[in-house]
Amino acid sequence: MIEDAASEAAPKPQKIAIWDLPTRLFHWTLAALIAFSWWTAEEHHDDLHLYSGFAILSLLLFRILWGLVGSSTARFVNFVRGPRAVSGYLRGSWAGIGHNPLGALSVIALIGLVALQVGLGLFASDEDGLMQGPLAHLVSSDTSEAAVDLHEDLFNVLLVFIALHVAAVLFYFLRGKNLVGPMFSGRGKADPGVEPMRPGKGWLAILCLFAAIAITRWIIAGAPPFGG
Amino acid sequence: MRKNVLIAAATVSLLSACGERAAENQAQVTAANNARATPAAAESSAPPAAPATKEEAQKIMHERHEGMEQIGKSTKAIGAQLKEDEPNIGIIRTNATKISELAARSANWFPAGTGPDVGKTRAKVEIWRKYEDFAAKDADFRKAAQSLKGLADSADVNAIRTAFAAMGKTCKACHDSYRTEKKEHD
Repeated sequence: MIEDAASEAAPKPQKIAIWDLPTRLFHWTLAALIAFSWWTAEEHHDDLHLYSGFAILSLLLFRILWGLVGSSTARFVNFVRGPRAVSGYLRGSWAGIGHNPLGALSVIALIGLVALQVGLGLFASDEDGLMQGPLAHLVSSDTSEAAVDLHEDLFNVLLVFIALHVAAVLFYFLRGKNLVGPMFSGRGKADPGVEPMRPGKGWLAILCLFAAIAITRWIIAGAPPFGG
Repeated sequence: MRKNVLIAAATVSLLSACGERAAENQAQVTAANNARATPAAAESSAPPAAPATKEEAQKIMHERHEGMEQIGKSTKAIGAQLKEDEPNIGIIRTNATKISELAARSANWFPAGTGPDVGKTRAKVEIWRKYEDFAAKDADFRKAAQSLKGLADSADVNAIRTAFAAMGKTCKACHDSYRTEKKEHD
């Protein structure tokens, strides 16, 4: 009886805004392009592999900019936390929306690894120069070929982190928390009283995207005037 | 809604940057196909006979390795020049000549009995299983190398660039099917 009364009195978790459209588009486009990059590498579609890498570079640059000026849950300052917050989260003292303090570490690791992977690709070159990243001419042949090897090895490391990411999502799902739904719809359940996401400005998202594409095109051009 | 439209527009602008390159690639593919269409001299369907001794086989494999390495270096040198605003035609000519001379010998580089069972090589056994196809691809490379050399004597950088890209495709055609991935080899 007492329990029933309590559950009727307490407001049920409501669906509120968690992720904005730019962040969701970033997430799913990145996932698709990483798969596409792997496939094009396996099948020797050199040109497509390079384009895929450039698109990923644009996405990363966009996400970094959006992490500075975007919606409340997209901003790095709001979710990148210290070890104290992480251990606090593990003890159950965290109530919020967006990346939790532990998940934030995974986000940073994944973005960092993909950035490193793209960076290596930019300087990579095969032995006959037929497939070259746009910045390969800035380093020696040996460095470029070493970058190819690291690019191959690092992909396996990235796969481990992706597997961990998917496993974590699955773990939450089995414990009754669906993380995938909100990443599609942008909305998810939250405890009463939790403030919803404060959206970013649409025109700022466009500006970030154009800036990201402009920087990418500058890198594709060989980063003039340094490498011109 | 307006935001979505703008994002779509930005994506199109990104794609259009790729479009420029795609047109360029199409030209390269066409050039490669033209090279293939020219009637070939008699192409053998069987590999040259196996060398009599293992030492001889390994000598051929060594020559093949050195030759391929030099072709790679020369290709890289030409590619680097073609990226310059004012390519050095002299360097292109020297390296195109080297490639065409080595290419002319490539038909003798893959006799039977010079595969991975005999020594360290990235040549796949498929070469000898599908020798006719391999030989046709090798002949494509020879022709492409010849036409590059011919054009290198002219100072027409655009024509050289097209011929160079076409030759690159013939290298890739063989390497994709008949060369072991570096990682598996090491």
